[in-house]
Amino acid sequence: MGETALILSEVFLDVIGYWWVIIPTIFLGLIVGGIPGFSAANTIIILMPLTLAMDLQMGLVFMVTLYCAARMGAGIPAILVNIPGTAGAAATPLDGYPMAKQGKGQQALAISFVASSVGGLLTTIIALATMPILARVGFYMHSVEMIVVMLFGISLIASIAAQDMLKGLIAGFFGLMIGAIGTDVVYATPRGTFGFLELYDGVPLIPALVGLFAVSEAFIIIEKKVIIREDAEPKNPNWHDTFEGVRIAVSRWWHIGWTSLIGLVIGVIPGAGASIASFVAYQQSRTFSKTPEKYGTGHAEGLIAPESANNGVTSGTLVPLLVLGIPGGATAAIMLVVMQFHGVSFGPSLFESQPKIGYGMFMAMAVAYFLMILTILPLSRYMSHVTTIPTIYLAPLIISFTLVGGFVPREYMFDMYLALGFGVIGYIARRTGYHVAAILIGVILGPLLETYFLRALKKSDGDITTLFSSTIGNILWVALVISLVLPIFFDWRRKKRNGPEIVVQ
Amino acid sequence: MTKTVFNRRGFLKGSVAITGATLAMPSIARASSYPERNINVVIPTREGGGADRNFRAFSSIWKTKLGVDFEPGFFPGASGRVGYEVYMGKNDPDAYNLIFGNMGPEVLNWAMQAPSFNIDDYFYFGRVDTDPCALFVGAESNLQTMDDIIAEGKKRKLNVGTSRMAHPASIGLLSLGEVTGAQFNLIPLSGGKNTVAGAVTGEVDFSVLTSGSVIAAGDAVKTLLVFGENRVGDALDNAPSMNSVYGTDLPEMLSSRAFGIHKKAADDHPDRFETLTRTFKETFEDPALLEAYVAARGTPEYLNYGGVEDCAAFKAAMLELGAKYKALLSGA
Repeated sequence: MGETALILSEVFLDVIGYWWVIIPTIFLGLIVGGIPGFSAANTIIILMPLTLAMDLQMGLVFMVTLYCAARMGAGIPAILVNIPGTAGAAATPLDGYPMAKQGKGQQALAISFVASSVGGLLTTIIALATMPILARVGFYMHSVEMIVVMLFGISLIASIAAQDMLKGLIAGFFGLMIGAIGTDVVYATPRGTFGFLELYDGVPLIPALVGLFAVSEAFIIIEKKVIIREDAEPKNPNWHDTFEGVRIAVSRWWHIGWTSLIGLVIGVIPGAGASIASFVAYQQSRTFSKTPEKYGTGHAEGLIAPESANNGVTSGTLVPLLVLGIPGGATAAIMLVVMQFHGVSFGPSLFESQPKIGYGMFMAMAVAYFLMILTILPLSRYMSHVTTIPTIYLAPLIISFTLVGGFVPREYMFDMYLALGFGVIGYIARRTGYHVAAILIGVILGPLLETYFLRALKKSDGDITTLFSSTIGNILWVALVISLVLPIFFDWRRKKRNGPEIVVQ
Repeated sequence: MTKTVFNRRGFLKGSVAITGATLAMPSIARASSYPERNINVVIPTREGGGADRNFRAFSSIWKTKLGVDFEPGFFPGASGRVGYEVYMGKNDPDAYNLIFGNMGPEVLNWAMQAPSFNIDDYFYFGRVDTDPCALFVGAESNLQTMDDIIAEGKKRKLNVGTSRMAHPASIGLLSLGEVTGAQFNLIPLSGGKNTVAGAVTGEVDFSVLTSGSVIAAGDAVKTLLVFGENRVGDALDNAPSMNSVYGTDLPEMLSSRAFGIHKKAADDHPDRFETLTRTFKETFEDPALLEAYVAARGTPEYLNYGGVEDCAAFKAAMLELGAKYKALLSGA
């Protein structure tokens, strides 16, 4: 224990000495995270020659900081202009953007920054302390258990459908159908590709994401003068809104804590990721909320949940990488390549042979989150100006940026047309009262659910009872049923409680 | 002594003369030479992956022999199909357009589902490496030897992770099942990373994969068998080859990267094709290639020159094995 504490203190001093790397990287990460299509993963690939030229510890600090900052950066355009930079931020605009439209963009940014930083910092510390236990999570979460986790996220469609059951379910199933496009995960048989080779791997997420959210939003806002609602009180930027956002977030510290833990646990499962974590956290947050009806209208807790969770994922993905040598996500996989270049061999022996590397990555993450909150929070005052830019300038900018964003991941012109196509679908959905978020949940989580479902069936030779063959899976099934029934029960109890009051009135 | 005055007029005259000469020189000097410009290379996988690193290491030496550079274009998707369709459908057959593919899994694709072009309209002419597939278990698995696996596989059908169904490693495993009588159920886990994770976390009983990815997994896994020759010894836990243990004559199940070209380009421009094949071979003879490969973190033991005949034989073997196991690999 004493030896570990000594190593940790040494590593802390080493990492903090790289503040001059961390701070510029935070800004780089915020930019690449905020631009749809870019991400920490492809930025590290682009900058690989630079990363490889750095010494090991500096390269490690650089990559980890970029990873965390990009995750946080993806939330900024999601809140201000309804453009999630990555699939991990897809749940952020559900409540972040309504806040921006109400003229509370600055407050929403502050809430998001605090939730992200505190959630990330907290889960980093927890991951560091419980690494050997957390690393075992992947040993128990196999395809059967992951089916239930997916259903937690997908059940959010039902919550959204609660406002208009028929339209919500139609939108959700439409999304699931789009998600089924592409080759099947077992025999690679093409389905619904309409002959387009570009659709063989399924509908690419970023064009779908930016199309449904951003392009359709640009079509909508062009009909108005500015993003913020006309009845929203115009304000001059002031520090008060930032402090108010910080106050709101800090007062919900418990909420930040448990939703970031959802991210941490999902993050340590190889193959799972931030998109699953943010939807599951949002769904759980809504389920246990006393005011579920406020979700989707600009509710602070609806913004905190996905932002804490997707930053919880960042520390989670490092656990299987460091302890088992298995990267938990795409960025961690690239980190593995870079670290191997420097001769670091990941796996069970890492903490014995090179403890400073193992602990150093978590320490770099903790320091990055700490410095991030100090550097980025003051910027919320200026960033929120975006919502007051006249839409005749903003809408074309959004469309241009998002189309480029749709193009970047695969560099296919086809993906730009696809983003435009999804933009039209999103616009029609909005104009006719169908929830685009319900479509998107189907598009994002549908293929993952199908993957785990078909894998479980293939493993059991088609025996459907395999879905109830594991103890942990069965516990999760019960939890799922409870989380679906609880809101109905709470609603019934609320109505029952309010009943006499109505009579009195 | 005459003093040379460098004035504006003189500068302009000199500049015009030099520019004209510069523009004229290449066409005079290289009027009939090949190559006159950079060579485009279609890579049917994502940028930043193993193929990218391998390509950059090899082309960094090859370009010194050819005198021009290589310009990669990445066209990932559909297990490589997108890249091949782009190459065959959109690139001119003029020997200025090549493809850098993986003769193992990508050729197996054609056996499962034919592409839109005739697969004889292109061929591989230069093999860069041969990375044999391997069978491995997670470090904590109960199955720690091949005897354990065979014995258990005779009691129950074992779930075996593979990167995707149509993969040389899958064929290696099916052959193992045939020769030992053990029952295996292939579970496609979508990519090497997930295939390693599946074995380590117990999602599957064990996995099969190209050995480069297995080596990268370090001590989280233990290799038990190689579907080819173990050229790296301890890095693959000194695992024996399948043929040596079970007396089979299975061809090496390989991930094997190679440069390919349109058949029409080779037919119409034999001089250009000769330049390509000659310089490709010269690249292998240059010691700098090994250094570049090591610098790119490649496994130098896997560098393995192969010419047109070697590649053709391997392509034909993959197609034949693919046809043989098509029902099992495609569910057809």
